[in-house]
Amino acid sequence: MIEVEHLTKYYGEYPAVRDVSFAVEKGQVVGFLGPNGAGKSTTMRILAGFLTATGGKVTVNGKDVFWDPIAARRSIGYMPESCPLYTDMRVEEYLWFRGGLKGLARRERKTRLGYVLERCWLKDVKRQIVGTLSKGYRQRVGLADALIADPPVLILDEPTAGLDPTQILETRKLMRELGQQHTMLLSTHILSEVEATCDSVIIIYQGKVAEDGSLAAVRQRHGNKPLEDVFVRLTGQEGI
Amino acid sequence: MRATFYLIRREFAAYFTGPVGYAALFAFLVLTGLLFNLALGLLTERGPRGLEYPMQALLGGLDSPDTARVAGVLFWGLFPAVTGIITSRLIAEERGTGTLEALLTAPIRDWQVVLAKFVACFAFYVLMWAITLVYVPVLADLHCTWNFAITPFSVMLLVGIVLWVLAKVAFWFEWNGWLMLALSVLGPALALTGGYLHATQDEVKFVEIVAGIDPRPVLTSYLGVLLAGAMFLALGLLVSSWVKSQLVAWMLSLLLGLLFVLPAYLRWQFDSSSVVYPALYYVSVPEHFRRDFTRGVIDTRPLVLYVSVTLACLLLTVRSLEARRLR
Repeated sequence: MIEVEHLTKYYGEYPAVRDVSFAVEKGQVVGFLGPNGAGKSTTMRILAGFLTATGGKVTVNGKDVFWDPIAARRSIGYMPESCPLYTDMRVEEYLWFRGGLKGLARRERKTRLGYVLERCWLKDVKRQIVGTLSKGYRQRVGLADALIADPPVLILDEPTAGLDPTQILETRKLMRELGQQHTMLLSTHILSEVEATCDSVIIIYQGKVAEDGSLAAVRQRHGNKPLEDVFVRLTGQEGI
Repeated sequence: MRATFYLIRREFAAYFTGPVGYAALFAFLVLTGLLFNLALGLLTERGPRGLEYPMQALLGGLDSPDTARVAGVLFWGLFPAVTGIITSRLIAEERGTGTLEALLTAPIRDWQVVLAKFVACFAFYVLMWAITLVYVPVLADLHCTWNFAITPFSVMLLVGIVLWVLAKVAFWFEWNGWLMLALSVLGPALALTGGYLHATQDEVKFVEIVAGIDPRPVLTSYLGVLLAGAMFLALGLLVSSWVKSQLVAWMLSLLLGLLFVLPAYLRWQFDSSSVVYPALYYVSVPEHFRRDFTRGVIDTRPLVLYVSVTLACLLLTVRSLEARRLR
């Protein structure tokens, strides 16, 4: 579903992503790991079409994100980091607007709106103004926005950042359920989350892919150690 | 197209869910109300003094009483500030809060984003000026006589107007798309043909409106206002796409807008036969209004300026959004 070949991105002189290649198969839930500044967000922004790569090729659902951006974006549900929303709209209005922006017809949008409100547990707050919601609810609105057009691919940038433990558990449960219907790429810092929700994992360090494979395979390659140890070893901070 | 439509709706509604729209409306209505008050005073003054072009007073083009001149300078000096309030939030705010990322990753082209935002702010601007239409009956000395003549043509006109209004309601409340399309084609068509036939064929009119003062300067003034406004709005939109802060966007668009206003007040400094004078005149919007639009003259030169600057700014705004992706 997602194919990335030799992706490179320079910010001026600084290479944020260097020659990254990976593929995500249909139906997989992939954890995208890496320390801060490793290039996770940059890669995801390129996948979602917010940034243009300096070099390389990215296709999502068979559509090139550079040459066929509209078709590619139609098959992606993207949730940006820290989940920015229009704070002056009501939850329902916001999702209705986003559905329209993604080109859903009226009737379809109505059913999808009902579905995502139910799915992301937003029924109680649907008339509330987004600006008055807590962080956890906002995150859910962002997730509902990503889901509204029923895209085959979900790209979620740190979906559990800044949530309290209960909310993290809820979000994780939701993520597992969504993983059965959608191909998912989610970035995170929390390693236990990857173990709980993902089939496979891509670890990125200093703009390069350091490890790529299913959870079991990655663990095996590093002597069956916990993922945490593998991560620390790969990102070169062992001695600390 | 559906995406553009929803973006226009959201951007327009956003003026009323935040303080921005009300601030702009307040500033604008205080200024125009002040000028209307002055015009009214001059129109009803006793003695040999009076007002030749009432619209000139409303658009701040009077020189003679000092209060009118001060009010005129105030109006034009603050005009780019008002359009700046309308436009500064459009892109700068989204960049500041990060919602631009969500917007630009939706399946919508950059030019559609820019077009939708421009249409929304222009609609708000038109609404602002539409409120000043209440001054027109006084300024053009309109008198109405209602005959309520019911003829086939007048009924056609009335039905057409009702359908036209319904089409707008349908747009706002998202009725069925085909119904909306049918209403918005049928309504204007009926209203226009009915109105034309009623005006030319029928003996007794439904309503007769007589203007005591030549009403044509009113039309040319509003034409000028719409096109000049489009220019200032497009300029503000461009500036808004450069920066992250709404305040900086507002100040920059005020400064850039003043480039098209201040030359009007420098005209005394230059000999009217010099080369500088026509060049300055070409970019001084208040002068265009004082000399042409408010006196019923349609000069195409300023119109070309307004339209070309508008288009150029919109094009540059699209490019500026595109450049963000490449950074």
